[in-house]
Amino acid sequence: MLMEVKNQIKVNYLSFKYCIMREMLNKATFISNVLFMILNNSFMIVQWIVLYSLKDNVGGYTFKQVLLLWALASGVYGVAHLFFKKSFHLSEVINNGKLDAYIVQPKNILLSVITSDIEVSAIGDVLFSIIVFCVSGFTIKRFILFIIFIITGGLILTSVTVILNSLSFWFNNADMIADVGDSLMTSFSTYPDGIFKGLTKVLLFTLIPVGISNYIPVKVITEFNINLFVINIVVCIFLILLSNIIFYSGLKRYSSTNLMSARI
Amino acid sequence: MKIIEVNNLSKTFKVKIKEKGLKGSLKSIINPKYKIVNAVNNVSFSVDKGEIIAFIGPNGAGKSTTIKMMTSILYPDEGNIKILGLDPAKDRKKLAYEIGTVFGQKEQLWTHLTPYDNFKFFGAIYDIPEKAVEKKIEEFRVLFELDKFINTPVRNLSLGQRIICEIVASLIHEPKILFLDEPTIGLDPVVKENIRTLIKRMNKEYKTTIFLTSHDVGDIEKLCKRVIIINNGQLVLDDTMENLKYHYLNQKIVEAKMKEKVNLDDEVGITILKDKGYNLKIEVDTTKRSVADAIRLLNPDNIIDINISNVPLENIISDIYRNKE
Amino acid sequence: MRKYLFIIKTQIMSNLQYIANILLGFIGYFIMLFILFNLWDYLYSSPDELINGYNMNQMTWYVIVTEVLWMTLGGRKLCRKISNDVKSGNITYNINKPYNYVLYCLSTHLGDVVIKGIVYTFLGMLTGFIFLGSFPKLNIISIIILLITAILATTISILLITCIGLVSFFIEDSGPLYWVYSKVILVLGTIFPIEYFPSILQKILQYSPVYVVSYGPAKLFVDFSMDNAIKVIVAQLVYIIISYVLCNLIYRKGVKRINVNGG
Repeated sequence: MLMEVKNQIKVNYLSFKYCIMREMLNKATFISNVLFMILNNSFMIVQWIVLYSLKDNVGGYTFKQVLLLWALASGVYGVAHLFFKKSFHLSEVINNGKLDAYIVQPKNILLSVITSDIEVSAIGDVLFSIIVFCVSGFTIKRFILFIIFIITGGLILTSVTVILNSLSFWFNNADMIADVGDSLMTSFSTYPDGIFKGLTKVLLFTLIPVGISNYIPVKVITEFNINLFVINIVVCIFLILLSNIIFYSGLKRYSSTNLMSARI
Repeated sequence: MKIIEVNNLSKTFKVKIKEKGLKGSLKSIINPKYKIVNAVNNVSFSVDKGEIIAFIGPNGAGKSTTIKMMTSILYPDEGNIKILGLDPAKDRKKLAYEIGTVFGQKEQLWTHLTPYDNFKFFGAIYDIPEKAVEKKIEEFRVLFELDKFINTPVRNLSLGQRIICEIVASLIHEPKILFLDEPTIGLDPVVKENIRTLIKRMNKEYKTTIFLTSHDVGDIEKLCKRVIIINNGQLVLDDTMENLKYHYLNQKIVEAKMKEKVNLDDEVGITILKDKGYNLKIEVDTTKRSVADAIRLLNPDNIIDINISNVPLENIISDIYRNKE
Repeated sequence: MRKYLFIIKTQIMSNLQYIANILLGFIGYFIMLFILFNLWDYLYSSPDELINGYNMNQMTWYVIVTEVLWMTLGGRKLCRKISNDVKSGNITYNINKPYNYVLYCLSTHLGDVVIKGIVYTFLGMLTGFIFLGSFPKLNIISIIILLITAILATTISILLITCIGLVSFFIEDSGPLYWVYSKVILVLGTIFPIEYFPSILQKILQYSPVYVVSYGPAKLFVDFSMDNAIKVIVAQLVYIIISYVLCNLIYRKGVKRINVNGG
């Protein structure tokens, strides 16, 4: 079992390394992709500078907390897109019958697929998130928590994406549902939860778990709370398991490229 | 020893019927219509260790679907498959260590890496220790003559070299069975020959059982001792290459250059294929008339030159396809 | 001129079949509008409160109009298409054709966005009505003028993005440039009216593309005045001429460069 995990990690590490090597073939594009993503995200901070020039407090967040929220948002997004890029294109992979190559390998299919490509600009997101985190107030303890949370958050975002994309095994147009789900996750992650009320707020902590992956970490980093910390970890593990169960039960319905050729 | 056993295998696909145009699209959203396609229908066969099997059939016959069920990619609806005693639907990982697959030109290789690095990557996928992989690659380098391109990035290789690398990559873990789906499609004759040599060599050296689909008669004729033909999802023929050639169709082609014209119209067991005055090409049905008898009809003294040959395999196969439809 | 109108018409027809995708595409923007509505609802203690001269209804409508303009545009796709044309060398095939490449791009893309524009305008208005329960007071003439400014704004956006796409002649990847452009428009022209920014920045923005592609039309929608309408349209016409000339200039320089390098 332990050996299996070790071997799996080795393959994923190699695959990641080779992807980076491939992207580095064109250094100028690589660097400009990273730098422009940092710049791109920095632009978005302008919105908050403007808002905080009107009020000291938006949705119960101070300006530093909004910076922290942004650091988490781009960190979570960056981790998910850097390491698990293909999970965001999983329905395409399923619909076009591209899973074959992974099924015949003696490795975890889901993991092999979603780690088979990287998003270079996501490196920019991760760097941006670390810079903004430092601006929001650096201490070792905060930083350790921050790193844990962008990893669990990245895993939560990836799991949700895998679940939605796996619906492609059952429905033809599931990729559209998945796109909506992704934009919900990313859009809400950059606004303080205090501005939402009622049903929206309930949804943000259940069906659209941005609350768990992004809002809870802001609270825990600001003021440590063991219960909230545990909730974040538990939900993360739960979603990973759920995404595996859904993916593998859908896999039984996988039709490779046969459906395409029989289109009338 | 039976290495592959397939019993009463069936698989159907539900295909959405889509009408053309905007109206059709809307209709199919509200009231989708489906059509059941029997891709594979009650197919059974078995394969012994070390065999090279040609698994052939026209496009859409169910070849790929069958292979995909044998390699865990698709779940069968009915029937069962045992490969090395394992059920592909249940023991995917275990089976994956034992089999190799090359599916047409689906790229499994990293194009920016050299074949050498690619082979090492595959070594990692199959949990082979670093040292062992290096040894294996060295062995393959010599055996399959990879010297010329083993250190060139795959994107700079020719199509033929790429396919060779794809096949070699799928051999790194010494699979007991290799599934090859159209390995020579789109290649020039020289490269085709190289790949056939490679396949023969690994069959001989490693006793690898080879399960091959191809539309190329040359592949089948030169590599395989046994042929399984499938059409419309059903098994049509499972026989040795010899039987197929010499018994399934008891016909010989006789081409003769004559001194004088001969009239063979209305002779039993003889079909005239070509009659250009002194050049004659006939097909003899040996169940009705022996070849010797046919030559007697032509009159041996009258023959300047003669050539007796089998019906080309290609014709036999397309005949089988047509008759069973 | 007739051939360009024909191109527009063909594009509209072929886009009709993607109406389901267009509707789904709106969802992402609906989410954005929903969040911003919540934001304004939180920031305004009462609907009549004025922040930088805008009440809550005006702020919400402002965002709806700028978002509809932005999402109708589909700028990323356009920029990518043009730079692909340039990079793949497809663009050189166009040199000998009897049309102007810039006008060709403009008419193809205008045709592309017509259906989207109509659908999004309708959905945007509906969304605003659901959030706020009322429409701004507008008469027929002001609606017509608003539509004209919206079309001009889209035209300018297309031309400016074409410029950016054509820069691929000179640099490896114009994608990052488009990013910057889109962020400037989004941050400085979509979420807030320019009155929200420091006065120095306001003066600059008055002359920037932000004024003609988003702020101008949106401001007219929430607070219509004939004086402003004329100002916006004049500025838009000036921008159309400038950006059109710029596009052609870049195109010609770029094509020459390809010829020199032997493509």
